[in-house]
Amino acid sequence: MEASATTVTGDRSVLERSPVGRLPDRVLKWGLSGLAALILILIVYFFIRLVGQSGHVFSTYGLNFVFGNDWDVSHNIFHGGALLFGTIVTSIIALIIGVPVAVASAVFINELCPRRMRGPLSILVDLLAAVPSVVYGLWGVFVLAPKLLPAEKWFASTFSFIPWIGGGIPQLYNYFIAGLILAIMILPIVSAISREVIATVPAEHKEAALALGATRWEMIRMAVLPYSRPGITGGAMLGMGRAIGETIAVVLVIGSASKIGSHLFSQGYTLAAVIANEFGEATGIHTSALFAAGLVLFVLTLIVNMIARWFISRGSHGTRGTGATGMTIASGPASET
Amino acid sequence: MKPRSMAIVATALASALAVAACGSSSSKTTTTTSGAATTTTSSAGSSSTGSGTINGAGSTLAAPIYQQWGSTLKGQGLTVNFNPVGSGAGQTQLAAATVDFAGSDPSLKPTDKAKMKGAVLQFPVAAGAITVSYNLSGIKSGLKLDGSVVSQIFQGKIKTWNNSAITSLNPGVSLPNTNITVVHRSDSSGTTQGFTTWLSETDPAWKSSIGSGKDVNWPTGTGGKGNSGVAAVVKQTPGAIGYVEQAYALENGFTYAAIKNSAGSYVLPTIPNTSAAFLGIKTPPDLGISTVNSPNPGAYPIVSQTFLDAYKDPCKDGGASAGTAAAIKKFLTYAFGAGQQTLGAGSNQLPYAPLPSSLADKDNTQLATMVCNGTAIS
Repeated sequence: MEASATTVTGDRSVLERSPVGRLPDRVLKWGLSGLAALILILIVYFFIRLVGQSGHVFSTYGLNFVFGNDWDVSHNIFHGGALLFGTIVTSIIALIIGVPVAVASAVFINELCPRRMRGPLSILVDLLAAVPSVVYGLWGVFVLAPKLLPAEKWFASTFSFIPWIGGGIPQLYNYFIAGLILAIMILPIVSAISREVIATVPAEHKEAALALGATRWEMIRMAVLPYSRPGITGGAMLGMGRAIGETIAVVLVIGSASKIGSHLFSQGYTLAAVIANEFGEATGIHTSALFAAGLVLFVLTLIVNMIARWFISRGSHGTRGTGATGMTIASGPASET
Repeated sequence: MKPRSMAIVATALASALAVAACGSSSSKTTTTTSGAATTTTSSAGSSSTGSGTINGAGSTLAAPIYQQWGSTLKGQGLTVNFNPVGSGAGQTQLAAATVDFAGSDPSLKPTDKAKMKGAVLQFPVAAGAITVSYNLSGIKSGLKLDGSVVSQIFQGKIKTWNNSAITSLNPGVSLPNTNITVVHRSDSSGTTQGFTTWLSETDPAWKSSIGSGKDVNWPTGTGGKGNSGVAAVVKQTPGAIGYVEQAYALENGFTYAAIKNSAGSYVLPTIPNTSAAFLGIKTPPDLGISTVNSPNPGAYPIVSQTFLDAYKDPCKDGGASAGTAAAIKKFLTYAFGAGQQTLGAGSNQLPYAPLPSSLADKDNTQLATMVCNGTAIS
């Protein structure tokens, strides 16, 4: 009591808070730090559990698990090369189809469309993200796959000279359909990020290009796109991260073949799809193999996301003074300007 | 003011976390993602008169039966929830005692019984034919196929419909030059097990290279998820052939093949032919029958039986209350009694083969041995 009396009058300035008054601040700091640490702990826990459960399979099959080509459950042979191949191929198809469309929509919304339509158009593109993935899968099964089969047959026979792309007999469920649906699903992410990045292009660059006599298209090509390229790449890699892990939409349209498909329109398999299909009835080493597939998926997604973040942070290279652009691009609108 | 509101926010956060932590630990059962349907088991408003709620999971082949029975029994005060997650998953859930009964197509092997918490009774309840359905315009049901031809088709060795192996069995039928698209199940399935068991028994080449099981390494073909997924692919692909459970084939109006049975005659998967598969088979003491490739000369060969599995003592091993045990017994009594009337070839019956009366009697005898904590259930 006397100590605090002397502190109040003696060592502490009148503007400083009492220790009790500082308590809520400390509670907030520790509370929020605790929650953030919890998230980190959760991720590490997942990783450790995955490694623990799948250790058996890696010790039995070694690297063959990831690169061998025979997923045979009834004979206990678990070589998941076809799974890794299918995951990467469907994601690449999704990127090839989805990123140009997303970037084009971003350029259109930012540069070409009337100002009044910007808001509604952005909302419509983002609405694609609101559709549940199982609905995409259902639509793919009943509408997209059968309707596209004749076109796929025409493509395969016309371009049969290209190895792996053409030349086979298209099946109803194949890598291409899965990749196409994934492309539609990553459109909103890539488009939103591209829109943010393109909006941060300084007006001076655009005006300079126009002042030198460039047409609209040349201005976009010379001033806007090169400036936003790192950010768009980062957005594309984030979209790829989503496509890699997408499960239910893919499992309905991938065809579930246990070996690597011989052409673009043949059945395939992905890491996420095999887990969805087989987890319910798996026992013993089969469960371990599925955990291992999950681990490979986890590591793959982690790597892709880390590369994406690095690209996005590099995306603020032109605005060195406002280096905070990097991390805020993915988080939301009104970051700069 | 400021520190006070900060304190309030912090306490609110802390209490929210505490409530979340406590709330998640208070619900004891049914936390698996594909767990038995909705309510937690046992003491949900049950008395010892056999009313209340029981939960089951398992076979997709028999799912339409249990769902129909469930809606009938609801009028009698008994709610039966059935989650068609597949035979293997159903057995796993029974072993974990998160369901009261499991529907399983394959009989319980000794390794399966060892995983259970206690003695398990298995009751054959019906049989369903597995049709080999195809999508060929202009060809009606009844195309003749035998085991070795079907095996070669599913191995990808026979690639077109007008292959000599098929046309030699079907003189007089003009088959087109369409490519055969094989369709199989992508998910683990008792239907797959029944189909591959028949293939293994009729074709040694299949048995040695691919074998039988709920999940096999299909050499060719597209995978569809569930019986309905396979049905969807067959329906949309001209020239497709796939194995679909009878109820789904009839529902979609498929054309299916007449398969050569063990006596050498080509039989269509009609209900009488499916029921005939029950006659002449061996019945082991634990009632683990198998109706595949039945020796009866009139029987359709690809018939899968389906069982209801439950603990002999659901109270001790399955954690059920006395009321739930009585409810299980009431459900099973219905299953072997009035429920059998709902199965058959009639227009308002479900297209499954009902049990012959001898087998239903054996089921009832076995049901009488079910106890609750050692005492017989009323």
